[in-house]
This record gives sequence, structure tokens and C-alpha cells, in this order.
Amino acid sequence: MNVLICDDSAFARKQMARALPNDWPVTLHFAEHGQQGLEQILSGHGDLVFLDLTMPIMDGYQVLKALKEQEVRTKVVVVSGDIQPEARRQVLELGALDFIKKPCSSEDILALLLRLDLYQPGQTELTTQGGVNLTVEARDVYQELANVAMGQAADLLARMLGGFVILPIPNVNVLEVSELHMALNSAASSGTLSAVCQGFIGAGIAGEALVLFHDSSFADLAKLMGHTDQVTKSVELELLMDMSNVLIGAFLRGFANQLDTPFSQGHPVVLGQHRPIEELIQANRHRWRRTLAIEINYQIRDHQVQCDLLLLFTEDSIQFMNNKILHLM
Amino acid sequence: MEIREFHWLMNIIQNLEVGLVVLDTENRIQVWNGFMESHSSRLSYEVKDKDLFELYPELDRVWLDRKLNMVKTLNNKAFISWEQRPFLFHFSNYRPITGTATHMYQNITIMPLPDFTGEIQHLAILIYDVTDQAVARLSATPA
Repeated sequence: MNVLICDDSAFARKQMARALPNDWPVTLHFAEHGQQGLEQILSGHGDLVFLDLTMPIMDGYQVLKALKEQEVRTKVVVVSGDIQPEARRQVLELGALDFIKKPCSSEDILALLLRLDLYQPGQTELTTQGGVNLTVEARDVYQELANVAMGQAADLLARMLGGFVILPIPNVNVLEVSELHMALNSAASSGTLSAVCQGFIGAGIAGEALVLFHDSSFADLAKLMGHTDQVTKSVELELLMDMSNVLIGAFLRGFANQLDTPFSQGHPVVLGQHRPIEELIQANRHRWRRTLAIEINYQIRDHQVQCDLLLLFTEDSIQFMNNKILHLM
Repeated sequence: MEIREFHWLMNIIQNLEVGLVVLDTENRIQVWNGFMESHSSRLSYEVKDKDLFELYPELDRVWLDRKLNMVKTLNNKAFISWEQRPFLFHFSNYRPITGTATHMYQNITIMPLPDFTGEIQHLAILIYDVTDQAVARLSATPA
């Protein structure tokens, strides 16, 4: 079954995706506004649609109207912060199956899916078989490992830049392949992000580190790094590589020390420079479904410098890592 | 390690198809492997203890110094891609007859080499020949 999440907020889409049952054998799709949603539905990506009401370009009401006019039979559940009775009445009249209030918990979703008879618990173990089993305890351990490694990376960054690095809370999650596609795709299309990715491997644990750098940060970063020349494309590339060397190198070392496993690092690849990001995503589309992801957002105090470090571990690695951290739990 | 083992290990390093240069903190060359000898036409004993920047005045000193210093002070590897600079050392293409590029494109890794007290007195520079990869990439996307 194809499930479409149509919401203009990336956060809401993510949250919705996470609230869905883990063992629900569906393919997830995402749309950022009503028009995109309608296109996806018409191309068969919306057997079930979670639809937001307030969106730019085309709102939820308009989508429902269009579906009704074109006699497209698709199951639509409206997810909205607007819970006034009038809104509810209107969307049900326009053919929506149900109406749930935002933000919704996984319990809400479960109740809804059971009510609509779209899901039976324990239906399949397909998706968890791959090894993405993240217990609450394990997540806590990864969070702590990431905290320590992140701190070391921040320390190195601060020493390189002579600035104060604001320490964020690392985000540990199991990421759907479609969610990553979405994030990278929007990076590729907006053209306001530059990225470097670097593979790493050691003792059965493998993955890729991605540094996503906001283009608006280059001017300030150049100043911090003592570049006096004009910030040309090649200076930007230079800055990007320096940043990723430090962030990835230090994080991996910190992570590896705690797991007691040294990692080998491949040579980093600059994304979007000579190969479009979309191409890279397309090529890997079918190789994996889910990945353990650690997301860290670094910022420099008093400067417009922002970058994301994303560590993606393969499904196979998770079992190896879980064994390594057993003694920490 | 046995002396015999040491001998064949050295032999491998000498014949590795990767350039290996070890510098001390004064940028004096301590190791210059077979790959470097062959491509630069400078033998190991000729360059030993020589200042890298004196031997290769065409190197961008400000830039490379910055990279070397960063590796040293942060005790962290640095990777330099051919996309940043096509090469560090201007070597000819390994395939002078059938190859299309005139020079060798290089990926560079600089690693800190801490001694047993943990102090970094030496740095290693690894030079990888990535000409084929670069040419393929460049021809696929005309700049």
C-alpha cells in the first residue's frame, strides 16, 4: 500500500511518519503542498493520504474538492490543527474518511488505522527483520555516545575557528529512506546547501557521514578562517572540506573510541559539484529501506554559521553496534 | 616485529601504487616512497632531509602550511579532493600515450603521526592517482 503524507511543514511530515506503526508494510511518500500531493495521488502514490489543511499553493480543502470532481477514490484522513466543528463538517462532506487533530501521537494513529481497518498489529515482521530494532535503552546509549563524540568535534571546530560552538542535542532516529530522499532532494532543488559525504567502516559497522552546509554561512566562515580574498566557489569548496574534515574526523574518532573500534574513512566526495545530488539518491534507491541516523546541528555563537552533520549507519551495522553497547545498558 | 617482516613491509611500502611522503615539523622530507621517486624523478636519498617547499617552490605554501598546521594542532586527518586542487605534485598522466589528461589528478590525505608520547613530530602525506575518475566525472558534466 502507498501512503502519502501531505504537509507543508517538514517537521510535521517527519513526526507523522514516525507516528505510523513500525511494522506496517507500506511505502511512504511525501508532498509539500496540495498541488504536489494531488500529483502524487494521481500517479498512484496515495492509497491512503494524510492531508494537512493549511498549505501554500493549494490547501487541503482544494485537494479534497479536486479529488471529488475528478472522482478519484482515495482514502483521505485530514490531519489539522484547526479542530473547529465547521472544519470537520466541511472535510467530511468533501469526502474525507476521518479527521484527526495535530499533533497526533502513535496511539492516535493506531486507533485510527484500527478503526478504518487498514492495519492489524503483528501483521508482518518484514520491516523489523532487517535489524532496525531500537529499544528505548539503546537509543539512550546512542544518544550519549553521540553527545560525547559531538562534544569532541565541537571542541576541534572551536579551536579551528576560534569561536564558540553552540552545543546542540544530537537527534538519534531510525530514518526511512523516503525521509532521507526528501531531505536531500530539497537540498538539491533549493541549491542553498552544499554537501560532503564520506564513507566509513570498521568491525562490521559501516555507514556514511554527511555534512550539509548552508550557503549563507560561507561569508562568515571565510572570515573566521582568515580568508581575506573574495569568497569564490573554490574558496567555498575549501571551507566546506575543512569543516567536514574536522567534524567528521573528530566525531568518528570520538564514536570509535567509545565503541572500541577504529574506523577506516574513504575519501570524501563533494555532492552537487560535479554530480547532481538527485543522481546519487536515485542510484541508491533500492538498496536500503531504513537507516539509523544521528543528526547534529552545529552553530557558531555570534556568527551566521550553520551546518548539519548527519551520520547514517546501514541496517546491518545496527546489530553489530547493539552488541558493542550491550555492556553500557 | 621481526627484522624479516620489517623488510618485506618496507618492500610493500616502497612498491605501493600510492605516493607516501613523511615530513617532520620543519617540513623536511623523511620518507619518499617508490611511487614518489618514479613520478618525480627524484630519488629518496636526494630528497631526504630537504625542505619540501625548497624542492617544490611551485607549491602554494600558504595553503599547504595551513592544512599541515591544522592536521598537527588538531591531531586530525585532512582530506583534499582533486575537485579543490587538481593535484599537489605536478606529475604526468600515468598513461602518457592513451590517456586524455596531461597531468595526474590527485586525491590527498594528510595524517598526523603521533610518537609514543602522543606528540606529533611527523605528518604523512598520501597521494592517490584519481585521473581516470576525474576525467570520467569531468567529461560527464561539462563545466
